[in-house]
Amino acid sequence: MPSPTSSGGINLRPINILPPGNNTLTFTSSAAARRRGRSGSIVAVQEVGGGQEEFLDQSAFPNLNAGWVNGKGAWVIHPFLIFVGKVLVDSIPGMQQNLSWTIVNLGYMLISYFMFHYVTGVPFGSDSHGGAYDDLTLWEQIDEGAQYTPAKKWLVCTPIALFLISTHYTHYDPWAFAINFTALLFVLLAKLPQLHRQRLRFMPSARSHH
Amino acid sequence: MEDSALEPLFVFIAYSVSTIQRSFNALPGSAVIVRYVKSSHQNDPFRTILEAILVIFAIRTLLQSRTRSDTTGRHFIKFTANEIDELVDEWSPEPLVPSLNEAELADLASVPVTVGPPGPKPKLQSTGKTAINLASYNFAGLSGNDKVKDRAVSVLRNYGLGSCGPPGFYGTNDIHLDLERDIANFLGTEAAIIYSQGFSTISSVIPAFSKRGDIVIADRGASRSLRSTVRWYDHNDLNSLEEVMQSVAKEIKTKRWRLTRRFIVTEGIFENDGAMSDLPKLVELGRKYKYRLILDESFSFGTVGRTGRGLTELYNVPANQIDLIVGSLANTLAGCGGFCAGSRIAVNHQRINGTSFVFSAAMPGMLAMAASEGIQILTSTPSILSNLHTNIFTLRSILDKIDCITIPSHPASAIIHIQLRDPIEPAGNGLPTTARAVSRRPSNPTSLVPRDLVVFDIGAEEKLLQEVVDEALAQGILITRARRLRGQEALEPRPSIKIAASAAVSKKDTEKAASILKGILTKVLGKK
Repeated sequence: MPSPTSSGGINLRPINILPPGNNTLTFTSSAAARRRGRSGSIVAVQEVGGGQEEFLDQSAFPNLNAGWVNGKGAWVIHPFLIFVGKVLVDSIPGMQQNLSWTIVNLGYMLISYFMFHYVTGVPFGSDSHGGAYDDLTLWEQIDEGAQYTPAKKWLVCTPIALFLISTHYTHYDPWAFAINFTALLFVLLAKLPQLHRQRLRFMPSARSHH
Repeated sequence: MEDSALEPLFVFIAYSVSTIQRSFNALPGSAVIVRYVKSSHQNDPFRTILEAILVIFAIRTLLQSRTRSDTTGRHFIKFTANEIDELVDEWSPEPLVPSLNEAELADLASVPVTVGPPGPKPKLQSTGKTAINLASYNFAGLSGNDKVKDRAVSVLRNYGLGSCGPPGFYGTNDIHLDLERDIANFLGTEAAIIYSQGFSTISSVIPAFSKRGDIVIADRGASRSLRSTVRWYDHNDLNSLEEVMQSVAKEIKTKRWRLTRRFIVTEGIFENDGAMSDLPKLVELGRKYKYRLILDESFSFGTVGRTGRGLTELYNVPANQIDLIVGSLANTLAGCGGFCAGSRIAVNHQRINGTSFVFSAAMPGMLAMAASEGIQILTSTPSILSNLHTNIFTLRSILDKIDCITIPSHPASAIIHIQLRDPIEPAGNGLPTTARAVSRRPSNPTSLVPRDLVVFDIGAEEKLLQEVVDEALAQGILITRARRLRGQEALEPRPSIKIAASAAVSKKDTEKAASILKGILTKVLGKK
């Protein structure tokens, strides 16, 4: 009996059946990286989460994870928490104003950076979006990715205002200024519209999966 | 001279500066600002400039207007009025049905017309004589079965015709539940769910379980497009499957993917060429690497095994070891629609998450009863399937001896694909003509197209096969080419003649048909 050949005779038509977006990006860049070996650059900027399917899934339901920044009291809570934090830090015996303001400033920058720019995805209800937000940080999820919305403007101005107040009250000590300014710079860079859905990768060898 | 030319400029600058100063001092609170800036400056101009830049940045951010969001504005192209006018002028309406070209007209003319009810020996309209029907899917001979017809008519009188709704929304009645129970009992699984359209069954089942981030390893002979990460293994080659699974395991470890669901998707008997999967080895590989198995038994359910239970009966594998068995009731049981059988949890999940179950109308009650009756007949008269297997064996024993063709189908498969042994290379294409070369390196799993592609001329091969079909029709045998919609897939299956063996055709007729076919094939293809 004739046995079937392993490559059973197939004709190739020049039709692109892969949807544009993530699939081809993964294929070409990882294949290219495999051909080249490890990429020579130290820092690379890569885009995440832009496929057509992601947009379709995102527009299926409102994003409860990111909707609260527009809600009642979500803006006032920032100066309120800063005030409470300052009071708590001041209550430590032996605390000087310099140090106290620096701690409050750095603490706010750190916590807001972690919450808005480091953690990705939606922590609940994985069925409603099917993982469409898994690559997006909270900042990128706010207002469905529109830039210069009221919530985003407030969230940009708050760290700047906190920084200016803290430098005023530390009597412009140069070291405190330098530390606070660096922290502010990190936070502001992450909020730039040019870095929307871009990731800085250090020593990229091959594109990571999702 | 330069002095006098530049003097009006200096005067103008001095005047404008003093105007700005005066107007600034006139503003309320300007003195406070000036005093504050002076006291905070503290001989550090660099810092002051930085703070001034920050303030300007904040004001600029506040003044910017809102941009479009990702989901709505991204694909919106702005045309100018001129461009819109140009495009409107250029546009000319296409006909709703474009006229057929020569090849398509020939294709249309080659379809034979039969008179009367379908069956194993229909009457041809062109010649008026009867022909042996080896083209229709009538594997168990249930088409036109009187018992099935009577039951269906009684259901039609009692229940009416349509189901009037999706199965989840008043469209289910006791006949559907009985059919689901019958299928589950027949196959030996816990439960089954029925879908009303056979073609949309598998495309509802897979997305119900495999979400974004899950991994699907599919056979290259069965291509579907999915949102999950898809890897391909060579058609019906389980060594290639194991290699792909190992490469996926390595990828998971090196890139630290999250733990997600993993699936193998393959068909029991492949529609494109009739090859059969090795089920025990598939199950063993699935266990070893922790993959769930989705088996599409569209053509093996009702034709393979002693009583037609499919691959599980043939290989003696318990059906609960396969996670999802998907099948078609339209191909083999003369009903309509499809089913998915598996564990109770998997089946109940599809009642909400199977898109075709939720959004399509339920199948008509009489067709569900026809399918139930078909299963009943299959279990009560095992002689039907032994007739079918005898016919398959007869056909293969005669057709396998022919030199000029190759048959890629499994010996137990009820659909027999006949392909040309030597592929006709496309003329003037410049592609390599190594028809038999097999690459020693494995194909790239991320690409649908395998590493070694055999190219052939679809048009020429189909024309040659159509000659065989026409000649067979003239001699009283009804066979057909495998009809495909070309240009829709990246991997086109090879043109072939598809013979569907049937238990309704007697052994004598099958032998006669096979020997006539052998004569025609050697005559037409031998002189090529």
